[in-house]
Amino acid sequence: MNYSEFPEVFNIKNTPKELLSQWYRLMTVGRTIDERAPNYLKQAIGWSYHAPYAGHDGIQLAIGQLFEKSKDHIFLYYRDMLTALSCGMTPEELILNGISRATDPGTGGRHMSNHFSKPEWNIHNVSSLTGNHTLHAVGVARAIKYYGEKSVAISSQGESSVSEGFVYEAINGATREQLPVVFVFQDNGYGISVPKKDQTANRKVANNFSGFKNLSILHCNGKDVFDSINAMTEAKRIALEEGHPVIVQANCVRIHSHSNSDKHELYRTENERSFVQEYDPYAKFRRLLLRYNRFTEDELQEMDSAAKLEVKAAHKAALAAPEPDPASIFDFVIPAPYGSTLYPEGVHQQEGEKKKLITALNETLKAEFRHNPDTFLWGQDIANKDKGGVFNVSKGMQKEFGKGRVFNAPIAEDFIVGTANGMSRYNEKIRIVIEGAEFADYFWPAMEQYVDSSHDYWRSNGKFTPNVVIRLASGGYIGGGLYHSQNLEGSLASIPGVRIVYPSFADDAAGLLRTAMRSRGLTLFMEPKALYQDPRAAAVIPDDFEVPFGKARIRRAGTDLTMITYGNTTLMCLEAADRLEKEGMQVEVIDLRSLIPLDKDTVLRSVRKTGRALVVHEDKVHGGFGGEIAAILTEEAFEWLDAPVRRVGSTFTPVGFHKALEKEILPNAEKIYQAAINLLKY
Amino acid sequence: MLKIGLFYSYKSQKTRKIARSIAEILGEDKVEHIDAETVTPEDFVRFDRMILGVPTWFDGELPIYWDEFVPALKELDLAGKQFAIFGLGDQKAYPENFGDAVGIMADILEGRNGVVVGETSPGGYSFESSKALKNGKFIGLILDQENQPRLTESRISTWVAGLAKDFK
Repeated sequence: MNYSEFPEVFNIKNTPKELLSQWYRLMTVGRTIDERAPNYLKQAIGWSYHAPYAGHDGIQLAIGQLFEKSKDHIFLYYRDMLTALSCGMTPEELILNGISRATDPGTGGRHMSNHFSKPEWNIHNVSSLTGNHTLHAVGVARAIKYYGEKSVAISSQGESSVSEGFVYEAINGATREQLPVVFVFQDNGYGISVPKKDQTANRKVANNFSGFKNLSILHCNGKDVFDSINAMTEAKRIALEEGHPVIVQANCVRIHSHSNSDKHELYRTENERSFVQEYDPYAKFRRLLLRYNRFTEDELQEMDSAAKLEVKAAHKAALAAPEPDPASIFDFVIPAPYGSTLYPEGVHQQEGEKKKLITALNETLKAEFRHNPDTFLWGQDIANKDKGGVFNVSKGMQKEFGKGRVFNAPIAEDFIVGTANGMSRYNEKIRIVIEGAEFADYFWPAMEQYVDSSHDYWRSNGKFTPNVVIRLASGGYIGGGLYHSQNLEGSLASIPGVRIVYPSFADDAAGLLRTAMRSRGLTLFMEPKALYQDPRAAAVIPDDFEVPFGKARIRRAGTDLTMITYGNTTLMCLEAADRLEKEGMQVEVIDLRSLIPLDKDTVLRSVRKTGRALVVHEDKVHGGFGGEIAAILTEEAFEWLDAPVRRVGSTFTPVGFHKALEKEILPNAEKIYQAAINLLKY
Repeated sequence: MLKIGLFYSYKSQKTRKIARSIAEILGEDKVEHIDAETVTPEDFVRFDRMILGVPTWFDGELPIYWDEFVPALKELDLAGKQFAIFGLGDQKAYPENFGDAVGIMADILEGRNGVVVGETSPGGYSFESSKALKNGKFIGLILDQENQPRLTESRISTWVAGLAKDFK
């Protein structure tokens, strides 16, 4: 009942009977499915992951009742079955997700059971990583505010998720930007078997955020329908009318184990288990309906019977639904990119004044921002008066496009990536460019969002893709040491769902950036920062230049040896090739430009011609992307090879700060020359 | 003189035991036991002096049996009635809401014009916050069987002795 700090809008006496009936139906149907779910596993039909919601009934009903489909945005967590039902999903849709059928509206059987979603209604498809979607809610709320819509984003999660650092980042960002987000912490006291006291010093975890400005914190009894509805009503009002975020901490109980792979008997006493059972929110609601004469026992029994029939029919329909087709696994890994009709091979013959790589990036960004009003750019250090990023790539952009489209982000890489993913969810027109970190070296804290974003398109069965370009100033040769020299592509290329490009010249940088910004999907855009100002990387750039993904460029033709490279080492390969030419050897230099997708045809065609392949990149040889190319050549070009495939790259060490150390560790033209000579002599 | 209504859950263990100690001290002939699990508005109407057993559940909630009675309670006029509230809490495990339910119940009763008596000193307890704390005093008797069981008996007897004066 309401004895809280927010207004009592609904109580057992004043709530219209029709509404009570609707709530009781939802709660009864929800409970029936929640209790039946383990049977599907016992019968080997599916639902191998089931996190029962019993004990969270009040708050889950309330969250769904306050959600306005296709207007608000909601992010559920894996225990949110009643929330999904209360949002409007049907019992059949819940079961389709549970037993992983092709017609599951959110994932088509690709994602785990108990992850309910319906992207077309803005019930977003989310990760299993607890609290990961908190950042997405903040991102989509940024769009809600920017476009002036009167709606809210709701992030629903367990209280233990608040232990994650990115939840702090999300709430920090939402309060700073004053965004309409309602964060609901469903507090059942446990993160699997870990009690709240092992998570944080404060049992009321929401109060950990009490020092934040522009934030309201509400506590409610998540086991009570009315207190929960009243809390959510007030939370939504604050978010809409006062325009700042709200945390609702809903005190729940977990009546059962965490999931069907957990046995709470191992860590909860019988006394505790029976105590929480005693506060069964569903039983409580039913008792209230009778005690205050809102329904008779006969009426409730009639509704109970109707609910059972409804679930039975849903079960029957779901069982008849098709299984996912194994042949479909390659569908929706990466969306089809923007196709260039003007430059299908990504080359041009234009002559004129050359521009540096940094100018190419700056001018292309500006041109694309003029071309598409729904483009946004943020990152650390990105916009302050005349400054535009640590290397000034985005110089002048905030001045021209305003603070709504170009702005600084806090030093929180995961926040930068996660809110980009979230903002993308607002609509398909939006294109976002982020500087993922000041230097690629600092991108690692964003890995959980990077990996999760890489899954979105596939996991949602093609219903959502983050349309984001992640720019990273990469590589060494600036005397930057361990934290200003890293290349990440060797690690990141093993993750499906992201395009990775790494240009060497100004024109390719411009063309690839334009393509990336016009494409759907996620693109990792690696910039060889040592070449930003290097006149050797300058090029003539047509104003409308485009470079399609997966199109390598033969920078120099040759017949004796193929060098396959990208990024900083392309120039070094060209230098080594010049030297070898003077010694009578013709080297073909292929600038891959794009690692994913990879232009295998150009590589194989060249090696077939030369019979020798030297793979060169700045990243470490050990585990570097060159290993993949070498493996492809071994598998698909073995018969044409006259020598083993060799690789040149960094040593299997960090990059040292002292010049002498850096020189020893990173590849250079001399090392490439020597490797080429050895290979040519083989 | 009308009897004192002594309300507590018959299903409870510790609260019931304490209620029976209170009854013993007051004298069984002076009290009438009422099961809070099935309490009705009529039970509240027929007494002028009531003692309520209200332990704190979870992170600062009323027990479910009292909670379900609140909608009815909020419609009663309790003018002229006196209430004394006792409740169990755990100051170590739940220092942020030690004995909150006692304070919550007191607020509801006072909101309906009831008079709450039997305040006690928070001295000897260690906690962070409590809704039972009003103007530097606990508005009722808070007992901590988990951490201070040996103090319970004397706390009860001191409180009950005071009630004899407070109840008019």
